[in-house]
Amino acid sequence: MTEEAFRTFYELTARPVRVYLARMTGDERLADDLLQEAYYRFLRSNAAFASDDHRRNYLFRVATNLVHDHRRRPRVEVPAPNAVHETAAAPAERHTAERAAIRIDVSRAMSQLKPRERSLLWLAYAQGWSHEEIAAALGLKTASLKSMLHRARRRLAALLKNPGGRP
Amino acid sequence: MTRFDFAQGRGTECPHEAQVVHAVLTGSWPAQCDDELTAHAAQCEICGEVATVAAVLRADHDEARRAVLVPAAGQVWWRAAVRARLERAQAATRPMTWLHGITGAMAIGVMLSVIGMAWPSITSGVEWARILVVALVTSGDAAGAVTGALRQSVIIALAAGALLLIAPIVLYFALSDD
Repeated sequence: MTEEAFRTFYELTARPVRVYLARMTGDERLADDLLQEAYYRFLRSNAAFASDDHRRNYLFRVATNLVHDHRRRPRVEVPAPNAVHETAAAPAERHTAERAAIRIDVSRAMSQLKPRERSLLWLAYAQGWSHEEIAAALGLKTASLKSMLHRARRRLAALLKNPGGRP
Repeated sequence: MTRFDFAQGRGTECPHEAQVVHAVLTGSWPAQCDDELTAHAAQCEICGEVATVAAVLRADHDEARRAVLVPAAGQVWWRAAVRARLERAQAATRPMTWLHGITGAMAIGVMLSVIGMAWPSITSGVEWARILVVALVTSGDAAGAVTGALRQSVIIALAAGALLLIAPIVLYFALSDD
């Protein structure tokens, strides 16, 4: 991949991937590190892609694997469950307190889901990907993905209705 | 219409689900989208749930995306290039490190075999030292005593010289990282 092609691809994907990593890990600083690592691994793979979507799916797959790898490692420092909200609170000054509160509820609810559920929901409803695209990015079968997505959605909906409790 | 999930005891799919997601993602939900669809979502448990979850996640996504700062593309490219170069350099020096280790091991082996072959001379060297000490103590003539002892064991002297030459080379190969 040439530097010019990389720049174009990066401009299109960096923010979505960074936001995805932050939501998956619940840690803004870790998301920064994993973003750099994801692009490094993407570049190192030197793989040929049939389309831009295929390339983007591959990058998200790399990012997802990095999050899973990080979770498997022995933890030195456990991020607070609401680390995302605290660091993201500064830019939220621009917004109303109500919107900031909703964001906190969303992040808290997401942090109570399983990692795969978070990925599924985020890619389906925040990124707006199709089931096929999600299956390709997460290495799942489309048939099983539908029921998994359904269960994850139910759990999140229950958590959003009842922020303090378990679904 | 709705597929049934026996484990959950309720429907898992609705044919209007995709339309609801599309409306939320395009920002037309609920005010600017089809009345029929909003009416359906009000009735359908699945579509209602999809609308709630998608609206919340999409709003969170849009806001986070606006607020997030990412490094410049050039910076990421440059860091990746530097790291790739370092990894290549490390990979290239790996065989050299192995070679150094093997060379060191071989040198130690040679030294040990030399010592093994020269063992009779070493034992005679101990005897030589004993004679030297005795001669020094009894006669007080150091130069004469050393010359006399050297005459007895030229091999010891040669082995010691060889060790002095080989030892620095062995140490260099064993300890150098480059």
